[in-house]
Amino acid sequence: MRLARLTAFFLLVLGLYVSGQPTGQAVAVHVTDDNGQPLAGITVQIKGTPRKYVTNAAGELTINNVPPGAVLIFTGVNVEEMEMAVGGKTELTTRLKTKVAALEDAVVTGFQRIDRKKFTGAAVTIKADSIKIDGVNDISRMLEGRAAGVSIQNVSGTFGTAPKVRIRGATSISGENKPLWVIDGVVLEDIVNVSNEQLTSGDASTLLGSSVAGLNINDVETFDILKDASAAALYGARAMNGVIVITTKKGKAGVPRVNYTGTFGLQLRPSYSTYDIMNSADQMSVNAEMERKFNLFYPTMVNAQNSGVYGELGKLLQTPNANGIFAVQNTPEARQAWLMKYANVNTDWFKLLFKNSVNQTHSLSISSGNEKATTYLSTSYYNDPGWTVADNVKSYTITLNQTYTPSNRLTFGFLVGGNVRQQQISGTENRSTDPVIGVYSRDFDINPFTYALTTTRTLPAFNDDGSYNFSTRNYTPFNILYELKNNSTHLNVLDGKIQGRLSYKITPFLSYDFIGGLRYAKTTEEHNVLDNSNEANAYRSGDPNYPGYTSIINENNKFLYQDPTLPFNQAVSVLPYGGFYKRTDRTLSNYSVRNQLNFNQSFDDRKHQITALLGQEYISTNRQTSSDVGVGYQWNTGGTPFVDYVYFKQLTQTNGVYYGMLNEYNRNAAYYANVQYTYNNRYTIMGTARTDGSNLMGNTTRNRYLPTWTVAGVWNVDQEKFMEPLQAVISHLMLKSSYGLNASIGNAINSTTILKSAITNRQYQSDQQTAINIQDLQNLDLTWEKKYEFNVGTDIGLWNDRVNLIVDYYRRRSFDLVGLVRTAGIGGEVNQFANYANMNSHGLDISLTGKILQERDYGITSTFNFGWNITKITNLRNNPNIWSLVGEGGGAQQGFPVRGLFSIANRGLDPYYGFPLFLNDSGIVSPQVNLSSLNTSHLKYEGPSDPTITGGWSNTFRYGAFSLNMLITYQAGNKIRLRPVYTSIYSDLDALPNEFKRRFELPGDQKLTNIPSVQMFSQAGYILQQESAFPYNNYNYSSDRVADGGFVRLKAATFSYQLPSQLLAKAGMKSGSLSVVANNLWLIYSDSRLHGQDPEFYATGGAALPVNKQVTVALRLGL
Amino acid sequence: MKKIFHYILLLTPAVYLSACNKQLGKLPDNRAVITNVDQVTQLLTSAYPHAIYAPFTEPMSDNSEDKGAAPATADPESYQINSQAYRFQDVTTVRFDSPTAYWDSCYRAIATANLALTYCNGPDSANFAAQKGEALVCRAYAHFMLVCLFAKPYNPSTAATDLGIPYVTAPQTSVFQKYTRGTVASVYANIESDLTRGLALIQDKIYGTAPKFHFTQQAAHAFASRFYLFKGDYNQVIAHSSAVFGTADPATLIRDQVTLYNTLQYQQLTVNYVSSTNNANILLQEAQSNYFDNYASYRYGYGLGTYNNVINGGNVTHGSYAVITYGATPQVFNFPKWSPYNVGPASNNIRYGLFPLFSMEEVLMNRAEAYAWVGNYDAAVADLNAWVSKNINNYNPATNNVSVASADAWYQTPDNISLILAALDFKRVTYMQEGLRWFDNIRLGFTIYRFAGSDFNTLVDSISPSDKRRVLQLPAEAVAAGLELNPR
Repeated sequence: MRLARLTAFFLLVLGLYVSGQPTGQAVAVHVTDDNGQPLAGITVQIKGTPRKYVTNAAGELTINNVPPGAVLIFTGVNVEEMEMAVGGKTELTTRLKTKVAALEDAVVTGFQRIDRKKFTGAAVTIKADSIKIDGVNDISRMLEGRAAGVSIQNVSGTFGTAPKVRIRGATSISGENKPLWVIDGVVLEDIVNVSNEQLTSGDASTLLGSSVAGLNINDVETFDILKDASAAALYGARAMNGVIVITTKKGKAGVPRVNYTGTFGLQLRPSYSTYDIMNSADQMSVNAEMERKFNLFYPTMVNAQNSGVYGELGKLLQTPNANGIFAVQNTPEARQAWLMKYANVNTDWFKLLFKNSVNQTHSLSISSGNEKATTYLSTSYYNDPGWTVADNVKSYTITLNQTYTPSNRLTFGFLVGGNVRQQQISGTENRSTDPVIGVYSRDFDINPFTYALTTTRTLPAFNDDGSYNFSTRNYTPFNILYELKNNSTHLNVLDGKIQGRLSYKITPFLSYDFIGGLRYAKTTEEHNVLDNSNEANAYRSGDPNYPGYTSIINENNKFLYQDPTLPFNQAVSVLPYGGFYKRTDRTLSNYSVRNQLNFNQSFDDRKHQITALLGQEYISTNRQTSSDVGVGYQWNTGGTPFVDYVYFKQLTQTNGVYYGMLNEYNRNAAYYANVQYTYNNRYTIMGTARTDGSNLMGNTTRNRYLPTWTVAGVWNVDQEKFMEPLQAVISHLMLKSSYGLNASIGNAINSTTILKSAITNRQYQSDQQTAINIQDLQNLDLTWEKKYEFNVGTDIGLWNDRVNLIVDYYRRRSFDLVGLVRTAGIGGEVNQFANYANMNSHGLDISLTGKILQERDYGITSTFNFGWNITKITNLRNNPNIWSLVGEGGGAQQGFPVRGLFSIANRGLDPYYGFPLFLNDSGIVSPQVNLSSLNTSHLKYEGPSDPTITGGWSNTFRYGAFSLNMLITYQAGNKIRLRPVYTSIYSDLDALPNEFKRRFELPGDQKLTNIPSVQMFSQAGYILQQESAFPYNNYNYSSDRVADGGFVRLKAATFSYQLPSQLLAKAGMKSGSLSVVANNLWLIYSDSRLHGQDPEFYATGGAALPVNKQVTVALRLGL
Repeated sequence: MKKIFHYILLLTPAVYLSACNKQLGKLPDNRAVITNVDQVTQLLTSAYPHAIYAPFTEPMSDNSEDKGAAPATADPESYQINSQAYRFQDVTTVRFDSPTAYWDSCYRAIATANLALTYCNGPDSANFAAQKGEALVCRAYAHFMLVCLFAKPYNPSTAATDLGIPYVTAPQTSVFQKYTRGTVASVYANIESDLTRGLALIQDKIYGTAPKFHFTQQAAHAFASRFYLFKGDYNQVIAHSSAVFGTADPATLIRDQVTLYNTLQYQQLTVNYVSSTNNANILLQEAQSNYFDNYASYRYGYGLGTYNNVINGGNVTHGSYAVITYGATPQVFNFPKWSPYNVGPASNNIRYGLFPLFSMEEVLMNRAEAYAWVGNYDAAVADLNAWVSKNINNYNPATNNVSVASADAWYQTPDNISLILAALDFKRVTYMQEGLRWFDNIRLGFTIYRFAGSDFNTLVDSISPSDKRRVLQLPAEAVAAGLELNPR
């Protein structure tokens, strides 16, 4: 093909010398595609002349004055070039072959387009159209199972949250491990820096975690996933975790093309059948045992912080009505009778909190233009009324992409894009971490999914009269449905950008490229806590002027204010009226500039081809986060804030702040060069060097710059003479290899001492002073995290590319990895960031595509992707403690994977009390385990917490106008920790799993079960306290609470139908299709211990929701 | 035209190169940058340990006994610290209130002082003299507290070989920096050098409205009084203690417990005890701790035995102590000393309290003891009676005042020892439940006896002065820093 183009070029030049125009006749040309559909915008050129024409909407064209012996050249986007001799005919009909999608001819790295035959790196190019799953709103999720070695874990399904994306596994122990996203050559900076680990936190900021949430999938032309050092070489010190390059659609010359896509997705409500939760009768029987063991003691539960029906019973037993009659007599029978009512309640929280709602997207694009200018304009609208009763989202996008080619030397264009999002979720506070033992907690969590999963089914949502039934939370009446109406978080995103590009041919072999981008994003997160919400009322419960006052609540409610200078006064509310209006604003302003010189020359009849480039890049990113708390906002009465000075008095005494603002500045400058030489289209060698400079290391020039480099080569074996006899079988064969260094800046930025000002934590304002604290000590040795990667791969096409196999093997050596090291503290800081670890990894990416059947009317195509990745920490200058290894994500330990999951080894149950026993840190069997012990040798290693095997299997069946695609995704090799459900004291609000039915109840049961007993409060509790033992908490982190993380899932099944052309023609349409997609419907295999629970999802509360099951209908029309 | 274009292209990188270095010097966030002397003063606000030793020194001391099971509400981790310390086991947790947390906090203070000193030694050093003085004394104080707890007590004959603690004099620049422990003698020499140099430079005027939270001249002298007492340099103790009092009568500086306990209620007493407006407090610091909330209810602590033997069992003055033991049962006996408060949102429940590092009674008793050691019994008796006058109910100088004779009669020991014991007893009563007693226990080599329960009869353990467990163990990570752990 290349040769053909070259010939055409020479003939063109030759043609210029031919003097005079031979006379000829008019020729009518009719162009269609494989299926006979007319093709517009096809360029027809008379060979050997500069005369070019373009077909019209009907694929027709009449050329006058055609020499009888002329040859016509047909070229166009997505079709294979063809030549046809006129041969004296006056009418020509031709079918052009559509280019085969699997064999993209070029890889787009964001810096250059490289012919795949000369591309030395490991990269996957995916056409957006081929992976589009209707109804999935985030394009990063569509990559799941589509590319070997790219692992996508849907840790939350809420709109805007990012999946955990890893390319070839983790490269860093504490760093972000997420790939760099690049759109049309410009790096897409995150609005908030949410690391892969923080993605699971459930905080409202995770809704901004997905860089690409504001991108319309219909605007995307291709994804190029750059996996190895060579492919990502030009990104240097930001490419350690791979790069995903998105190329968006551009306008096409020809008549305007209008495309509409509409999808309607029915979201299916979850049900108890897939979750392992006791029904209310079973739960009541467990509650009865807890009552017998004084774990549920209703007399004290009257004033308990949280309580359900037992608290209610306690109140009824204490409060007579006006006639002195108690609603429940305090006799065992009466109490029993009252409680038994709740054994049959069986509240279906999923039904109450979720709905079968329909989301929709509408997307419209117009492409138009001519040879000199093209335009692509698109807009989309997404509306999800909410899977839960608490959330909804609307999102709008607009894109305008214009390209101008005023001369054959100059091309320039603009991309203007923007998106707006309005989202509502249940009211969310950020989770806080106990820095010592690492336990997470979240105040006022009303995440509907978490609530349904953890709240007892004995609690009714409504009373008999249809009014809300209130339980007690924070000493305050609480009903989840009522609370969700009164407590919500609203997120608004406004994100706009403009990108410009210019390309100028200085000489035929030297060109200059410019790419610049400017982006501004503003997000507002508002947490509206209404006057009557539980969260607002919790600030009043126990106040002497507030109903329901008791001295016990007054003393215990931590949200009340006790004036330290007036110790005899009662605690009072700081929020006597109104609620809260909490607001966080984030802005991102980012610009980038790139200048690049390209050299492209060949010698000796293209035997020697050299391309080289030299460039410079500068990226500036500013982020600002500001937050404040509006106190006493009276939502229900006109919105006037009622501000009590006591609130601020408490705030100053507790050293709190009522507003804050944080600026972050990131500057990155780089120079790069790349040389590539190809001999005889067979051998290509490539070398890249780049130096990055960053301001993150502080105002020291030490380690400010980091050079990276790559060398690589590819051998097109199929071009060799000796392969000619095999051409019938082996249509192409490439061998490639690369080796190089790339890097990323870790999350430590203390090359100089970092100081932060603070207010002293003293009680009285008169004693307070402004202080400056050392936040981080200087670490002169701090440097970038780096990685050497070796890749060897092959790309084989068999039987005219009917079967295509790509295999890549890689070894990676990460070093200077940054992590938090616990030191002896002598320098003044106990936990310090240091480049303290090395890690090796290796793996295999296999992609096999087969066009099993390929006939005109029917066909079967199957693609199988397989990624295998093993990591091992080879050096770790830190001794982790037990707690850091047994948590849900595991931890780093030398000799083990990047995040190995460890467990406390079980040793059965105590034969008398039934509390669990363990092999503890001292190597003895005991209920007591010191979680902060550094002796981790007695822990049981479970396995890596990241999957070692990921992939997908996609099958497409095509018959006439119908097609069916089934995408199966899988992962294996990892272990996950089950949800912590065991505790020494349960409340009457807890929902327990069914396995509780097998719990230890009587001595002797320890031989039959490993499920611990309900703790005997007085006796066992005392024994355990003597030993400072927390066996029930430890049990959550024991090997009994581990499941296999592997799964096989039918991710999507798509059934499409191409609407008949006659029908479309009648309606004035050019193309149209209808499809039905089932998303996420079937978890084919997962560990039975999970009881159907999603192995990918972390139920962390807050903003996190699992990816839902959905059935989507999509309609596509082209005008 | 084309040529110009080429030149521009060639020039761009050069222009960018120079511009880039400037851009890359931009600080990545809004961190503090110290540029003036006031900021050094602010930095020094953090050069004090913000952790307390009482949670582990009090149960180790002879003030504590086994009171039996603690209420179920006790915070489990500080409960564990309490039990392990009482049993002379190495405390396993590293959370606040643990010995390791105290170690960390002292070294944090030292690092801050060292960083401040780098600003004080610039060309403009004359303007930074007061700051330099505070930094040096802060550095000396934190090292002194560490050497007392994590090394053997100072003994002139063995100090040159006893393992000390790392004396850090420069900011750390590498995470994996190696340190050496030196000897107790070398640590003491460094402390003395920093203390005397610092004391000469300190100026109270830089401390603004919160002098009670800084090493004022008075506080530095109080520290010197304690330091020389440990070193056994009694004339220095007398000199520095006297400098603390100045011309004032010490009796007017210490707490008038008789009046306080007669006029104030429990909560008022707690507020008063740690108030910066209380003249008796010389140096206060804030610290995160659960001790302030739970100190009464720990299993090992001040109980019936100590109450009967120390507080209520008669004393050298033949009067009764004014301080009142609160608590409905011996299980929760306590003195109203702490006034904890929340820091940050209430829901986080991060508890802080103010803790006195130095107060007048200690300085007074230090001087009394030093006078007794050097044989100036009249002066010793005068100091003792200054305390007696404010601490004995219905104080009557004629019957309550201590004399050499009355002390000898009460303690049945030689003159100077009797007076020393009286000073130690008064100190013990004053600082009950504050952890200070432990320092006297180790300084003077008391054997610590452990009894079964509160009856003080059935001896279960005795920890002699040579017992290795009396020296707290270094954090486990210290080995990685090149240090030798204490023998066990």
